[in-house]
Amino acid sequence: MDKQLARLPDAESRNYRTLAISTAFILLIPVWARFIPGDVLHIDIVNVMVLAGIYACVVVGLNLLVGYAGQISLGHAAFFGIGAYTTAILCTRIHGFPTWLGVLAGTALSGAIGWLVGKPVLRLKGHYLAMATLGLGEIAFILFQQLKWLTGGTVGILNIPPLSMFGLKFDTDLKLYFVVWIIVMALMLLSINLIRSRVGRGLRALHSSEVAADAMGVNTSTYKVQVFVLSAAFAGLGGALFAHFQKYVNPESFVLAISIMFITMVVVGGMGNIWGGLIGVLLLTFLPPVIQALPQWLPGLPSGLQNFSNYELVLYGLLLILFMMFLPKGVADGLGRAADFTEVRARRLGDRRKAKRLEGR
Amino acid sequence: MMVADTLLQIREVTKRFGGLAALKDVSFDVTVGEIKAMIGPNGAGKTTMFDVLTGILHPTAGDVMLKGESIVGLRPDQITAMGMIRTFQTIQLFEGMTALENVMVGCHCRTACGFASSGLRQPAARREEKDIREKSMDVLKDVGLATRAGEIGTNLPYGQQRMLELARALASEPDIILLDEPAAGLNQYETGELAGLLVRFRERGLTILIVEHDMGLVMQISDEIVVLDYGEIIARGAPQDVQNDPRVIEAYLGIEA
Ligand SMILES: Nc1ncnc2c1ncn2[C@@H]1O[C@H](COP(=O)(O)OP(=O)(O)OP(=O)(O)O)[C@@H](O)[C@H]1O
Ligand SMILES: [Mg+2]
Repeated sequence: MDKQLARLPDAESRNYRTLAISTAFILLIPVWARFIPGDVLHIDIVNVMVLAGIYACVVVGLNLLVGYAGQISLGHAAFFGIGAYTTAILCTRIHGFPTWLGVLAGTALSGAIGWLVGKPVLRLKGHYLAMATLGLGEIAFILFQQLKWLTGGTVGILNIPPLSMFGLKFDTDLKLYFVVWIIVMALMLLSINLIRSRVGRGLRALHSSEVAADAMGVNTSTYKVQVFVLSAAFAGLGGALFAHFQKYVNPESFVLAISIMFITMVVVGGMGNIWGGLIGVLLLTFLPPVIQALPQWLPGLPSGLQNFSNYELVLYGLLLILFMMFLPKGVADGLGRAADFTEVRARRLGDRRKAKRLEGR
Repeated sequence: MMVADTLLQIREVTKRFGGLAALKDVSFDVTVGEIKAMIGPNGAGKTTMFDVLTGILHPTAGDVMLKGESIVGLRPDQITAMGMIRTFQTIQLFEGMTALENVMVGCHCRTACGFASSGLRQPAARREEKDIREKSMDVLKDVGLATRAGEIGTNLPYGQQRMLELARALASEPDIILLDEPAAGLNQYETGELAGLLVRFRERGLTILIVEHDMGLVMQISDEIVVLDYGEIIARGAPQDVQNDPRVIEAYLGIEA
């Protein structure tokens, strides 16, 4: 039994090791990406990776909410948008407004609005919560479009300055790459800490059975609101970075399809698997540029394929259905099981060989 | 009996589900250190009473006092923190959690680290986590499940799942524990173990209110029995008196005694 006690913290340190290794790996990507000129792959890896990092901020938080606490949100594009518009408005309206402060403000405001709407909305369960958050996303989208004096309507806000911090200006994709991914890894670290703590157990407990969690002393209603606020703040942070990356914002970036995309990333990667979420982000963020590049790799493909937005939602829907049916725990779990499977096969093969050798003797 | 010794007071509790009164004007006390049994045929309202006591349901009328304070209207987690916890008739272990983690959830109301200190892994959070782990391991040892600590709770054999639920509840350091048919599905040997365990915990000062259909167990361990039928108390008293009460026999057998 003391062996058990010793074993569990070990799994914990493995998680931190994985984080350290993947951080090193991700931060080195731009180095080797240099050796693959853009006109070979027809994909700007660094540029796509910045976007992936931005989406990862949202998805890490959404995974805490959906995958761990079991509370669905089909409206997280709203918080992504609130973060983006907040910094965009502050940094374009107020001359010389520090961009990093804009990002912080976007994060904070998004969290605050998450708290305001989370309190009433999270009393709902299941489909009702899904519908309510769906509505939330739509309301936010309409507000982004209609509050023209504030948001610039459908045109949006242009000429957003690049992010700058500590006197450094992150005005290229490469520079932004490092900022974004360091932030992602910090959020990952925070999430890993959280999951393996008292709070994480409370969230997982309420996912499994709210009544039982309540009865065991977990204040489920407060936990639900708190994790919702956290995920809203993460999404707001992602959105704020997005505004400084894209240099303009308009409502197009915060449509329903984006909310669905975030959820699809969580599901594809693996609900309740923080690493899985990251894999989901990478797969789905690279999907559109790969599809765009396909005709250049394989000439003679039908041209309609390139208009990703035409069939984006259909594709996400299809992915959601297929994953729910065949890989409900996502790619990460699938990979894990494949590894187990090959290990078992290998062991069996080894046993058989050993048996043969024994026979031969 | 002195008032100071009364841990739980149930005062004229009524619970209606639409037209159906699952509990009608039920009153009884539970004294510190006793094992009280609440029995009655299926649908008598026993689980409903537990739901009312633990704040999962609110009574239509009446009052419940724990240690002299009314707990009607409090949230379940607040009542748990006040020292009253329950187990469930249908096992409600947390999915995907190891036996140890299940018990660690039980420590929730005796610990405090929130989102910020846990997320930042501050020294206080680490210390608390270590304490929770050690204490939970001790509780697992207590119920004889220490060797199962690392296994997924819901994968354990049925009897051990019941014990794990008990351990999870005990981890909250309750003054009184409400057990909803803890022996259901246990074999004779396991039921014997359970009886021994409950008596041992009582000796340590735990008060127990038990709902159970296994009359052997009820007769063996309880100091006093309350009998419910159709939401009303039809008898109460020492085990042997209740056993021979014609109204109880009638309720159970559905015939005139
Ligand atoms: N949520 C509910 N809504 C409506 N009726 C309910 C509800 N919960 C319980 N009841 C009804 O209240 C009555 C008492 O049920 P309860 O579960 O308390 O019985 P019990 O004594 O625990 O029975 P058993 O021994 O079968 O567990 C039953 O008639 C039941 O159908
Ligand atoms: Mg019952």
